[in-house]
Amino acid sequence: MWVNVWAVIRREYLERVRSKWFVISTLGGPLLMVLLMVVPAYFLLLGEQAERKVAIVDGSNVLYERIAPHLEDGGFEVEEERWHVDVVTALRQQATEGDLWGFIVLDELTLETGEAIIYVTSRPSEIHQLRLRSAITRAAMEYQLERQGLDAGALLSGGELRMELLSDEGTSAEEPQFWVAYLGAFFLYMVILLYAVSVMRATLEEKTSRIVEVIISSMKPWHLMLGKILGVGAVGLTQLAVWIISGFLIIAGGMPVLIAVSPGLVQFETVLSALPGIGMMGLFVCLFIFGFFMYSGLYAAVGAMCNTDEEAQQAQLPMIMLLVIPIAMVSIVIVQPMTPMATWFSLFPLFSPFLMWARVASGGIPAWQIGLSFLLMLLTIFAIAWVAGRIYKVGILMTGKRPTLPELWRWVKEA
Amino acid sequence: MIDNRYAIRLKGVTKCFGKHTAVSELDFDVPRGALYGLLGPNGSGKTTCIRMIMGILHPDEGSVSLFGADPDEMRRTRVGYLPEERGVYRKMKCIEFLTFLAEIRGIPRFEGQKRSKNWLERLGLGEWADRRIQDLSKGMQQKVQFIGTVIHEPELLILDEPFSGLDPINQDVLEEIVRDFHSRGTTILLSTHLMDQAERLCERVCLISRARKVLDSDLEELKAEEQTGVVVVNFEGSDQWLKGPEIDHIDELNGELHLILKDGADHQQILKRGLESGAKILRFDLVRPRLHEIFVRHAGAGAVGDAGTPKNTSLGFQ
Repeated sequence: MWVNVWAVIRREYLERVRSKWFVISTLGGPLLMVLLMVVPAYFLLLGEQAERKVAIVDGSNVLYERIAPHLEDGGFEVEEERWHVDVVTALRQQATEGDLWGFIVLDELTLETGEAIIYVTSRPSEIHQLRLRSAITRAAMEYQLERQGLDAGALLSGGELRMELLSDEGTSAEEPQFWVAYLGAFFLYMVILLYAVSVMRATLEEKTSRIVEVIISSMKPWHLMLGKILGVGAVGLTQLAVWIISGFLIIAGGMPVLIAVSPGLVQFETVLSALPGIGMMGLFVCLFIFGFFMYSGLYAAVGAMCNTDEEAQQAQLPMIMLLVIPIAMVSIVIVQPMTPMATWFSLFPLFSPFLMWARVASGGIPAWQIGLSFLLMLLTIFAIAWVAGRIYKVGILMTGKRPTLPELWRWVKEA
Repeated sequence: MIDNRYAIRLKGVTKCFGKHTAVSELDFDVPRGALYGLLGPNGSGKTTCIRMIMGILHPDEGSVSLFGADPDEMRRTRVGYLPEERGVYRKMKCIEFLTFLAEIRGIPRFEGQKRSKNWLERLGLGEWADRRIQDLSKGMQQKVQFIGTVIHEPELLILDEPFSGLDPINQDVLEEIVRDFHSRGTTILLSTHLMDQAERLCERVCLISRARKVLDSDLEELKAEEQTGVVVVNFEGSDQWLKGPEIDHIDELNGELHLILKDGADHQQILKRGLESGAKILRFDLVRPRLHEIFVRHAGAGAVGDAGTPKNTSLGFQ
């Protein structure tokens, strides 16, 4: 019998992995990621090349040393110009000839109010304007504070808030990763649903094309359903694996290269430190597997009891509505992962894949809750398999109108 | 005790859909090695009967056994089934589809591939082996499906309307393969509404009409026993002489008139009347009745009409 199931898994897997859709979406993911990284970086570089060379005329005589490092970090090439009567005219000449992008004039007033004049050949981006302005005001503040004998460097760079947890409920001292929690939950929702629906479509197609009559004469319905779910699940895992591995390679390998090429991109380095770790990735894959088994069982049953796409659309409506709940709750749970409501909802097996992820990524939930949710999901998988297997067995060979709820119940009892 | 003489035994099988009785108290036995025809107009219950043999439907009453044993076990490896409604995985390549069907019936992949190739060659589809099934014409798809039915060399073949939708040349090819399997000892149950085809192929027939069995007999014996006289005539001139008390009704087939006589009628009277009428009689031939005429006699002409199809197509006037 396992030969049968294996044949179905193999067919399901190979047919899907070879399809154009799979190749495009699997390769498209990492490609999109590269584009998302490279394109902004490229434009940044383009912009900088045009705006790069700046001269500073320092009338205050104390600001240049403080401003220059900040601007150089921001990708500017900075040179100092001595003050003399015709300096503005001379620099204007240089700029129009293309030797300079622009020049900044600082004077005594700058030291007190932060006001300065910049002459430019082209309008800088908002971000560059901000960077220029903050470099100047920061330098002025530093000078003023130092004159009063204070070391202002640490204060001006934003300080630091260190956290010490007094309760022992936290399992990880990791920083909460809001975007990981949010995007991860949605991504799980997307892939679980995508592949569960694909089990439904395959079931429906086999049923409407009547090929199922031939298959069922050679194997038990339950084995066909199992093979189908395992085959489609394996396709999903393959795709996730490609995405995760290539994502790591791109970010971990590509980022330093990018930064080395262009030091101006150093701010992107924060992305690296915010990447979810191996543990989180393992959790993600496990949640996908458990979630997929639950939902694909349900969707296989829906596919088996319907005769047309339209019927299937209607029949899956209750499930879609059920799924609205965890998705609506994701943002609440992220903000307050430890409230009783968040706990109970995330322990409800059909919601666990999305809400557990959101809670874990938001930081500090007890390990036993994660364990319990997996246990509950496992039990749910068996329960769904039992019920769905029976509906599948009867439904897959049944034609005519879609069964009513009492009829479905009879299928489950009698099958 | 396991009775091995019969490949299929149906005992008192009844199946209802709501208030409609699709099959009523049907008994029949298909001996091992027989080429057995299940005949009847559309809607008479043939497919329901086959679906019960295949375990797709469960009889409300009665029992089905295959090779004298529990059918579930037998079906998986020893039976080949071609359903009436054709189904394939449209996006699969022919060779992979066939290998898959072989595999789920316990044939190793390599062997399955080899057999698939041989069969595709034999049915003239060799160069289509690596094409997707959806690229094939309907007739070709049907041939691929037929291969899928026989790829595991089953002992029992159940073919539901295997020839419908095929052109005459491919019908002949398939008929030849069916005969070939038969000569090698495979038991074959074949359902058809084409009486002529059944007459050419089958050695034993079961006629079903309105959910009930009407006849179940060896075809040769059946024909020998039948008392109904049929006269084929061809003539020029007036047809007034065809009106007489001896004739039950007249069918037209391939431009010839078939006079179906009433029981015990004397055909010489008709010939005499014809000669006297001055018609130029080119042919006057007393023939054995065709299956169709036997069927109509047993089921009544109404049974044919019941099927909701015009007489000349549903019962195989070609």
